[in-house]
Amino acid sequence: MDMDPPTNNPSPPGPPDSPPPEKRLASLSLRTSHLPPDFEIHDDYDDDDDEGYLTAVSRVGSISTSASAWKDDLEDADVAPPSPSSSGYAAERGTSLASSAAANDDPQPQPDDDDWPRDKKHLHEDDTSASWRKRKKHFFILSNSGKPIYSRYGDEHKLAGFSATLQAIISFVENSGDHIKFVRAAKHQIVFLVKGPIYLVCISCTEESYEGLRGQLELMYGQMLLILTKSVNRCFEKNPKFDMAPLLGGTDAVFLSLIHAFSWNPATFLHAYTCLPLAQSTRQAASAVLQDIADSGVLFALLMCEHKVISLVGAQKATLHPDDIFLLSNFILSSESFRTSESFSPICLPRYNSMAFLYAYVHFFDENTYLTLLTARSDAFYDLKDSRSRIQNVLLKANVLVEVQRSLRESALRIEDLPADPSSQSVSPPPQFSQDLHFQLLSSEMAIGGPAGLWHFIYKSIYLDQYVSSEFPLIISNPKQQKRLYKAYQKLYASMHDKATGPHKTQFRRDEDYVLFCWITQDFELYAAFNPLADKSQAIKVCNRVCQWIRDLENEIFVYGESTLSW
Amino acid sequence: MGLSSAAAGEGPQLCVFDLRRGQQEGQELDKILFFHPTDCPILLQLSVIGLCEGIITFARIFSPDDDCEVIESEKHSHVFYQAEADIWMVLVVEKNKDIESTWRCGALQGILKEVHSLFTMFHGPIRTLLDRQPSAELARGHLRTFFTDYLSDFNAGKKIQLPTFRDCLKERGTVQMLTISREVALEVQSLTTVLGSCLGNVMCQSLVLFEDLLVSTTLPPDDTLNLYTYAILRLTPRALLSNATSWSYLRKGTSVHAGPTSSSSNGTASVERPLQREKLYKGKDGFVAAGSTTSEVRGAVAWVPILWFQQAEDRMHLCVYQHKNITILLLIPASSLINGDDGIAHVKRHLLENASQNIVTLELKLSRGWGGENAYHVGGYRYLLVDPDRKVSRASPPGKVTTLSKDSLLSLNRLREEIDLEKSRAKRSDSCHDKDFEVCIRAKNNAWVIAKVTRGRELYMALEKAGETLLYASTAIEKFSNRYCEGAFSTD
Repeated sequence: MDMDPPTNNPSPPGPPDSPPPEKRLASLSLRTSHLPPDFEIHDDYDDDDDEGYLTAVSRVGSISTSASAWKDDLEDADVAPPSPSSSGYAAERGTSLASSAAANDDPQPQPDDDDWPRDKKHLHEDDTSASWRKRKKHFFILSNSGKPIYSRYGDEHKLAGFSATLQAIISFVENSGDHIKFVRAAKHQIVFLVKGPIYLVCISCTEESYEGLRGQLELMYGQMLLILTKSVNRCFEKNPKFDMAPLLGGTDAVFLSLIHAFSWNPATFLHAYTCLPLAQSTRQAASAVLQDIADSGVLFALLMCEHKVISLVGAQKATLHPDDIFLLSNFILSSESFRTSESFSPICLPRYNSMAFLYAYVHFFDENTYLTLLTARSDAFYDLKDSRSRIQNVLLKANVLVEVQRSLRESALRIEDLPADPSSQSVSPPPQFSQDLHFQLLSSEMAIGGPAGLWHFIYKSIYLDQYVSSEFPLIISNPKQQKRLYKAYQKLYASMHDKATGPHKTQFRRDEDYVLFCWITQDFELYAAFNPLADKSQAIKVCNRVCQWIRDLENEIFVYGESTLSW
Repeated sequence: MGLSSAAAGEGPQLCVFDLRRGQQEGQELDKILFFHPTDCPILLQLSVIGLCEGIITFARIFSPDDDCEVIESEKHSHVFYQAEADIWMVLVVEKNKDIESTWRCGALQGILKEVHSLFTMFHGPIRTLLDRQPSAELARGHLRTFFTDYLSDFNAGKKIQLPTFRDCLKERGTVQMLTISREVALEVQSLTTVLGSCLGNVMCQSLVLFEDLLVSTTLPPDDTLNLYTYAILRLTPRALLSNATSWSYLRKGTSVHAGPTSSSSNGTASVERPLQREKLYKGKDGFVAAGSTTSEVRGAVAWVPILWFQQAEDRMHLCVYQHKNITILLLIPASSLINGDDGIAHVKRHLLENASQNIVTLELKLSRGWGGENAYHVGGYRYLLVDPDRKVSRASPPGKVTTLSKDSLLSLNRLREEIDLEKSRAKRSDSCHDKDFEVCIRAKNNAWVIAKVTRGRELYMALEKAGETLLYASTAIEKFSNRYCEGAFSTD
């Protein structure tokens, strides 16, 4: 037997650092009793007579076990019960506590210390805390009976009163036959999203557009569905006061990773995926072996390196929405259990079918590269294990994994590499710099970036639903600057795609931070950022050169022709 | 409270409430100072105000020093304005399926600001009225008549028609000025000097208007704007003509029963309903008087309202004189009039004796140079220029703006929403440092919509024949800026 036994965490973890004594005391004083949190949670279950199974399990098990037990219960209604050997793996997700460690050469920027304290949730905070109120961006998930399900900051149980207030606002407007969208109070925006019995709220002073924040709430909901499926709504139909929070036990890292992606991953607003640049022959080798895994009932096969696609194969006429790819990779990359051993877990792809579970076989070939095989069969573990072995052998022989690592190190698009245009070389530097050659060179390198002051670009292929972005130059070298640029792109995207008046064809924007261009055609969308003093005509020429460059490279940077599986 | 807002029927709602009142259970009604429509069921009024109060309180958890600005829901927009400390005004507009009910939040808030500014000019701050009479009857009475009269300007048939996206090249809360030559400027200065001395050793203030445009003012910008706004609504020749035209129509409508009002202590006739349309007309002596055509037979009633000017920190009597298309607004400090009506009569006599020749001369010169209602049209451009610091704007004539397509206007309206947000952010972050920004959008109908904010001044433009390229559109803006804005919006 090759299987590693699943590790089961017997009790929910406490915060990594215990709070100082006075805060612990204050925390205790907030409770109506002196009972420990575990007992209180169990106590809640005793009131849910309709959930006898959950109650029975919770008396002897952990929250995470309850979550998977509930999932088992739900599966009975939809699909054949899983075989004992595979269902055991579902519990592994309950042990995921930390996000994946940053890999070497990880292109993802390191979050600021300010954004990544060791106690990420600040469990000691609640809605009366000044520090909690000053957070720049809150996310909440609650039920339509006002029960807290998830909060980015603070312990959900201490936010019950606050959640009830949010629910009251939403319900009050609904009672008058309307649905609240957002409230704006100076720099704060409060965005509401209602999904059946699930309410999602974002309270933000980050100056993002309403459309952007609402899109993020949609992704939060999608991530929740990926873990639970939409069938969770039935639990609320049966019992409006159903407490859903335990079902998400152990997934804080997933949501936290998702929230951080909103500030560094353009996939979150472009609704497209990006590919790892590879030589065409290398990618073809990978695609060919994925196509060969016939007779396994595989719906989708993905070979990915971090959040980038190497190869993607889908069954006949089945397509994978970029949002599903993003949410799935976020789930896998932020769950430690997937890295330590091969996994076979139930998941849901919200855009593919929000009501049904699929099963994901996940295996990491190295630190960054992993294979995901998706099937509707709950009994497919051994078949997929065999398929993975065959795939792995072929990838090793064809040197795909070596090429992937090389690409990770070397293949970023650099704006300095943009092919030169003879006419642009004739542009002389500004006159005031001509006196000092050294200053001129330094200024040129640090301030101007690429040609005509180009700092960064994103190119999205509309037909392929894929995008590519350039590497950041020195001028935008720290995560805070990069976050600010992505925020500017997101606003540009929202402006160009306005529901009532869009999509626009062209936009030029200048403020004290950037010159931004956006150009939308039937084939592509280009977003480009220049230094704020960039000349319009020169910038336009450079944008044209970028588009030509991308067309020249498209065989390496895009995945073409999602192949159908051979049956 | 399960009341549906649909029960109120169509049309916007405007309410004024005081968060310091009605905080005891069972006394909620006490916080309502005004609600339009006035026949709206009490429970619905409480529902609207309850939601607004709840949102104000909730938003303060995160923004304790900032005001709630808007609630957007699928079917309604609630636009907020804290007019005075804890005195809030909220405008609720209904969204329809048809695109015609597309607004800009900032434009709707501008209505709330305008009506409150006008109200305080005539009646003083709402808080002062409440302090004077805690039962609030005085405040409610004034608010009801004043706001109802103000809203009647938006009547279109049986409905209220608020500014929509089609008005995105207008700017409420600004003065439109007449461009005058040097020769005329000297004539104006001479007139202003004479007007200033109508009361001997006490300086009088004045505004001079030609048509609906400001020629000169001696008041600070805020007070100028307030008085100019009132003049455009009710005092200029166009407004007086509009009064006469609409008189018979309004008389058929429901009359509003005004609450009791107190007379001013110095015996001058008080102004009960300064925004009532049929009230004012130009008398034979050239001064604007109160009454109606039917009462002229019995003699005109002198109309000299007392106004409160916040920036100038003074109360003044307003005396209005017209000669053809010139309107003179003369302001006499209330403290300087010892014997009331006799003092007013003295001022009028002085104006007629000393200033009328200046006025006649000025009118001739202005009329001769006047280009008509399309005087500020620029061929090929549809534009709005705003100087927020000076509260001044200039725009393409409304008749020209209507030639723009719906898509262009919608895109420009949407762009203005974005710029409004950027401006408020810039204002909050660093109040002493202007942030310049520029946006050019080529919409899907190939029109260019453009916004430029440079050193605090704003230019909005729609170009429907600017061709394919951004450079062409930019060149068009450059030409406009150099010729009409002293290069203020040119690229460095």
